[in-house]
Amino acid sequence: MTKCPACLVGFAQGDFPMLAEHLVERADESDPDHVRWLNQNLSRRKTAAASLLPGLTELFALPDGSLPRWVKTRFIAKFFGKVPHPFVEALQHPTRATLLGYVFEHQHFLRQWVRSCAFIMARTDRPEVIRYELDNLTTEYGGYGPDRPSHYELLLRMGESLGVDRSVVLGTPPLPATRRSIEQWNEMATREHWVSVLTAMHGLELIANRNLVDDGASVHYFDPAILQGQEITSAAQAFLREGYEADVGHSDEALALSDRFARELGVVEEVQSVFLRSIDLFDDYLVGRLERSGRFA
Amino acid sequence: MKRNYDGCAICDSTWGNVWAEVEGERMFFCCDLCVVQFRGLIDRIKQETGWDRIDAIEIAGDRRGRVCVAESAGDRARFGFAFTPEGQLLRFSRGTASSA
Repeated sequence: MTKCPACLVGFAQGDFPMLAEHLVERADESDPDHVRWLNQNLSRRKTAAASLLPGLTELFALPDGSLPRWVKTRFIAKFFGKVPHPFVEALQHPTRATLLGYVFEHQHFLRQWVRSCAFIMARTDRPEVIRYELDNLTTEYGGYGPDRPSHYELLLRMGESLGVDRSVVLGTPPLPATRRSIEQWNEMATREHWVSVLTAMHGLELIANRNLVDDGASVHYFDPAILQGQEITSAAQAFLREGYEADVGHSDEALALSDRFARELGVVEEVQSVFLRSIDLFDDYLVGRLERSGRFA
Repeated sequence: MKRNYDGCAICDSTWGNVWAEVEGERMFFCCDLCVVQFRGLIDRIKQETGWDRIDAIEIAGDRRGRVCVAESAGDRARFGFAFTPEGQLLRFSRGTASSA
């Protein structure tokens, strides 16, 4: 099945002409998500559906037939291009405000993360996927005991090191950008194929994949130099270091599983569209972190 | 209000079909979100400058960050800005008109 990358409505596999018609129709209705997708991915100039086909076909084409490479290429283009995402720029040498924006919004993201991964486990019958998710959830949320706290716990400790008690963080509702993104990730997790959800969620862990510069990323998620010295608190270093060390394995292993099962189950095209939707949501969510940061500046 | 875009007043897209009145003029926008953005921008420029009207606005850039040069009764001012996903100003700063 092919899906619309703006709203995830489905079409017959390979039916890009129908997808192009749909995009034009929804844009004619001035739907912001469809207009945005066309503006950012194909063209800002209105055109006939047939004229969109070459660009659409090219966008979905897998380089050397590799789904992981396609995922990385799209991710780099969106977050690590010549002008990186503004949150990535802010995180290179983060201020207290930037890190607090991260803490307040990310606790909501991680709580949704658990639910999305739980849906993958509930729907897959592949033991290797279950094992992968169990390990991921333990690292991200459960922790491996006092010596290896979870990423969630390290996030809250980072907030405390910056002078904000965890009760304040946990009692603060998400900003609208975060709320909308996590609601849509939740809906995605409940409705979409588990291979799509696997790719859409764990593909986001590419954000901290330090090897992405070898694939063309203009910068790392943050300047690795901040993990040394006293530019940021040691709790902030511990939080960022954990992702820096874990997310290479998390994202690469997930993409290998995605590549294998998307092909085996014949769902490559829908996996691609769901991933494209997910990175648009992630883009908005990262702006939400910046918006929150502005309240501490 | 004189503009440099022939498409949507904020992003120059020619998709969509929203017409909204801003500063007494009916303008084309690609979606409602851009209407919110443009109205918020105009209000903020007027608030910043004390102008009661804007005669011309020239916008450049993309969603990551835009700059504009606004004119009113012969005065010019330059601003940098970006929006939240809801169309509110995420950042707004004043520069020098000559640097535009």
